[in-house]
Amino acid sequence: MKVTLNWLKEYVDFDLDADELSHRLTMAGLEVDAMERLGEGLDSVIVARLADVRQHPDADRLTVCEVETGSVTVQVVCGAQNHKTGDLVALAQVGTLLPGDFKIKKSKIRGQESCGMLCSIKELGLGDESDGIMILPEDLPLGQPVFSALGLKDIFYEIGLTPNRPDCLSVVGVAREVSAMVAADLHLPEPVIAENDSIAAEKTSVVIEDPDHCPRYAARLIENVKIGPSPDWLIRRVEAVGMRSINNVVDITNFVMMELGQPLHAFDFNLLRENRIVVRRAGEGDKFTTLDGQERILRNSDLVICDGVGPVALAGVMGGLNSEVQDNTTDILLESAYFNPVTIRRTSKRLGLHTESSHRFERGTDVDMVPLALDRAAALIAELAEGTIAQGAVDVYPVEIERRVLTISAAMTSQVLGLKVDADDIHRKLTSIGLKCEHLVGRSDGAVSVTVPNFRPDLEREIDMIEEVARLVGYDHIPVTMPLSTLACQQLPAHLTLERKVRNLMARLGFAEVINYSFFNADCLDKIRLTENDERRQNVQILNPLTEEQSVMRTTLVPSVLETTARNLAYRSEDLSLFELRPVFQPVHGSELPIESLRLTAVLCGRREPLGWAQTDAAADFYDMKGVVEALLADLRITDLTWTSEHDEEFYHPGKSCALYKDDCLLGTLGELHPEVIFNFDLGTSAIVCDLNVEALLELGGGKVQFKALSRYPDIQRDSAFLVDTEVTAQEVFEVLGRVKVKDLESIELFDVYEGKGVPEGKKSLAIRACYRALDRTLTDEQIQNLHGKLVNAMQKEFGAELR
Amino acid sequence: MKEKLNAIELAAAEAAATVTTEAELQQVRARYLGKKGEITAVMKGMGQLSPEERPKVGALANEVKDRLEEVFSDRLQSLRTELMQQKLTGERIDVTLPGRRGRMGYRHPITQVTEEIVEIFAALGFGVAEGPEIEKDFYNFEALNIPKDHPARDMQDTFYISEDVVLRTHTSPVQIRTMLNHAPPVRVVAPGTVYRRDSDLTHSPMFHQIEGFLVDRQVSFGDLKGILTTFVNEFFGEGIDVRFRPSFFPFTEPSAEVDIQCVICGGDGCRVCSQTGWLEILGSGMIDPEVFKSVNYDPEIYSGFAFGMGIERIAMLKYGVNDLRLFFENDMRFLKQF
Repeated sequence: MKVTLNWLKEYVDFDLDADELSHRLTMAGLEVDAMERLGEGLDSVIVARLADVRQHPDADRLTVCEVETGSVTVQVVCGAQNHKTGDLVALAQVGTLLPGDFKIKKSKIRGQESCGMLCSIKELGLGDESDGIMILPEDLPLGQPVFSALGLKDIFYEIGLTPNRPDCLSVVGVAREVSAMVAADLHLPEPVIAENDSIAAEKTSVVIEDPDHCPRYAARLIENVKIGPSPDWLIRRVEAVGMRSINNVVDITNFVMMELGQPLHAFDFNLLRENRIVVRRAGEGDKFTTLDGQERILRNSDLVICDGVGPVALAGVMGGLNSEVQDNTTDILLESAYFNPVTIRRTSKRLGLHTESSHRFERGTDVDMVPLALDRAAALIAELAEGTIAQGAVDVYPVEIERRVLTISAAMTSQVLGLKVDADDIHRKLTSIGLKCEHLVGRSDGAVSVTVPNFRPDLEREIDMIEEVARLVGYDHIPVTMPLSTLACQQLPAHLTLERKVRNLMARLGFAEVINYSFFNADCLDKIRLTENDERRQNVQILNPLTEEQSVMRTTLVPSVLETTARNLAYRSEDLSLFELRPVFQPVHGSELPIESLRLTAVLCGRREPLGWAQTDAAADFYDMKGVVEALLADLRITDLTWTSEHDEEFYHPGKSCALYKDDCLLGTLGELHPEVIFNFDLGTSAIVCDLNVEALLELGGGKVQFKALSRYPDIQRDSAFLVDTEVTAQEVFEVLGRVKVKDLESIELFDVYEGKGVPEGKKSLAIRACYRALDRTLTDEQIQNLHGKLVNAMQKEFGAELR
Repeated sequence: MKEKLNAIELAAAEAAATVTTEAELQQVRARYLGKKGEITAVMKGMGQLSPEERPKVGALANEVKDRLEEVFSDRLQSLRTELMQQKLTGERIDVTLPGRRGRMGYRHPITQVTEEIVEIFAALGFGVAEGPEIEKDFYNFEALNIPKDHPARDMQDTFYISEDVVLRTHTSPVQIRTMLNHAPPVRVVAPGTVYRRDSDLTHSPMFHQIEGFLVDRQVSFGDLKGILTTFVNEFFGEGIDVRFRPSFFPFTEPSAEVDIQCVICGGDGCRVCSQTGWLEILGSGMIDPEVFKSVNYDPEIYSGFAFGMGIERIAMLKYGVNDLRLFFENDMRFLKQF
């Protein structure tokens, strides 16, 4: 909502400066989003007379003007066509800074000196349109600043209104708030209606067929109007609130809507068939062309204003083309009505047609404002468009909407606010914004009975009025206290603790966390080679996405992480280690909500270690990622894992990827990317990915720590290298070694794998280091020999391994 | 003999002083103190002395021997020290070369700010709750006193999955879910991802919020001011001005926007605060009795407050980030800074 300081002052007498008013409005809940000072810094734009206008000698479209300022005469070159000798104009003198940081300098234009500029309305920030320069009224004194001479100096406020305050969708509504702030009276306009001989009720009629949707409809007939341009003051008011001037009658209806908050509509009375109004529901599928020239298809739920034959306006939203006021209109039927907010909102929303009128009706207008707004507009039309008003308003209001009567108690108010207030405070505060208050005698809690005027549809309950009291007292005046509350242990839920742990571990393991949008384009599933029947192709779709790229909820994080990787590679970040830990969304048959489950996807590419003089230049590979996953699982205390190259993911290199299980539970997969995927994402380099089911990790993780006693005796290590077939996997070897019962075996590490020179074709050498230590004694050589022999035997027996 | 011993001592000390290596020192020592050394030789000749003289010379010989042992051991020590010094002087590295580094990891700034906020409220006794990102209209709107066909729905542009399922537009549905599952008193914060159908310089279709609420007997608006003022001072620093001004949310009454003194200009007015000196960081209010009705809390007995803030906004202020989109572009040059 836009208001101006001068306009507000027409209804309430106050003396706050521009900034103070802005602050007070904001602190009263009417947040000032923007403030504009019209004419500020433009005192050097003055009233001047064109003493002579002649053609520029060297330019067809320019004139050279002699301009009298009252004290001197200056020469100005002007490009406009609408001026002549004797006109009063707005001269921006040299040195003026016009809106848009345009500084006026002394210059030469095609050889002619120009000392200043003759301004248009637009250049002064007074309007959007400009046909040439501004020609001022003849009676203005020369040399005076134009803005003061025209009484235009003003402050514009743009107020960001919350939807609960329809009463402030009018200048009078805002003025009412100001009147409460400064404890001054609010003066509403008091239109004087001079009626002619016609009797409105004889010439027209109003029938409301659907009073639930239209509780009140009032009309006045204004005859013999002359449609024409509006006077300057009206144009300025209409434009001040961001509307365009159309003609005197339309401008008046808009002006009164802005002034009083009551939308009005003017029909060309002679275009109303049978000269009457019927308010009813539209027929399903009816076609109707609104003022904007669009044909609309109506539904039975839409409310329409009809004449004797069919629709002439979409009630509360927009008028019809068929009854529009035009230049040759002579008689006007003026509508002032109250519509059901929900009805208007449904129609406006369905048609995507949001107007100043629908904006107000759907938030709730003041049914009691209907007659005043009607009279105010009628009187103005009579005054400014030379019309005469037929006798009487046709005001159909079958069931009066009663004003709500509520009770507010001082005790409750004090308790909710944490501020001591008494019934007198409440009475005083609520009265100041136009509520009728009465002390309720005989109640111990200091109760006040409040009659709520219809301009405050938001005040329905005691709590709503408590808020009004708080607002009017000022939130600043409510003391700052701390709650008294019962203690309770509020530990972070276990899964959140673990989730944090995973995130911290990944960061510690050298990965940077990314956050991608939760939606993607399902096409990216082809890019990661998901098979046609993969479950992740069943997804949750957004009905109204912003773009196709954001139309489906992610069922896997892999594509987004790869896109992020590609983008970073394009920025020449070569060595990347990224992870994302976010939910994916999988629809469930028969359930309204999908399953949201956390996944962890990480990617690694480039060098194993960052570039550096002392660092290896080797590229990261499968085992780097595996080491990361192992460290992660170890820290979560998930042990006894199975790694297998059997898995279904098609986005990996089939020979360099694996699945990870704990018993039968698939924890995730990891591997080098498939060359096609590298190509599809334009990575240009190999990359290793892991994709883990975090829900499973959270489920299995967090095992208890159990201390094992330390031996005080020395350990003895035995290294052995075995020749085995190349197909034998490390996991098989560890399984076999693990099955051998060897007492006092502390650990076994695989420390070398070798194929090549010195090792026969088809064989590889695996070197293990076994470490033996007893809790209670030093082991003898003989005992060690015996223990280690068991391992060697098992290797020989299971794999035909030879000792090297 | 006495003179001889004194001469040996003198010569031995001189020899010890002139050697330059440990090996030479050992040789010198052997020459004087060894089994075939000169002192031993003197001791062997003691048999020729008279019984009166023998103990005197014997004692002297032992004294000389002890003194020489000390001389040799001191010399050995000093030789070793010299040697080490020499070696250390030769061993120099360029300490200004960069250290050997592994990959550095980073947590996303949104994660860090979220955790920091959660920690502050945890210290104030708030637990943590969560809820789904794809949410029923009931939890996201209806139960929060935002019926269908209410203009308040225009405050949040919504992504729809079906007529009754939406991408949650705020973390407030967690309030409803929590209150439906817990009897009062409750004190909870709920961080999470939210979605609005809006994308431009200052709006992202996905962003993060943290919701908080407290319900107990006799909770007042003053308590709301107390908790949120404490939060602002913990997060942004003591002495940052806070102001509460009236606003509207369908699920709170009275409602308040919370502004803090601009952390960029200190309240003088700058581009970030649109010259007002204030930054809006939080929405809050006393929980509306209608909300209590939809979760079966008795508004006659219980009252409470709720608040919500955008994490991106807080993070932008904390770190001076000037473009919201950076949080979701995941440029390493950005992520590395946190």
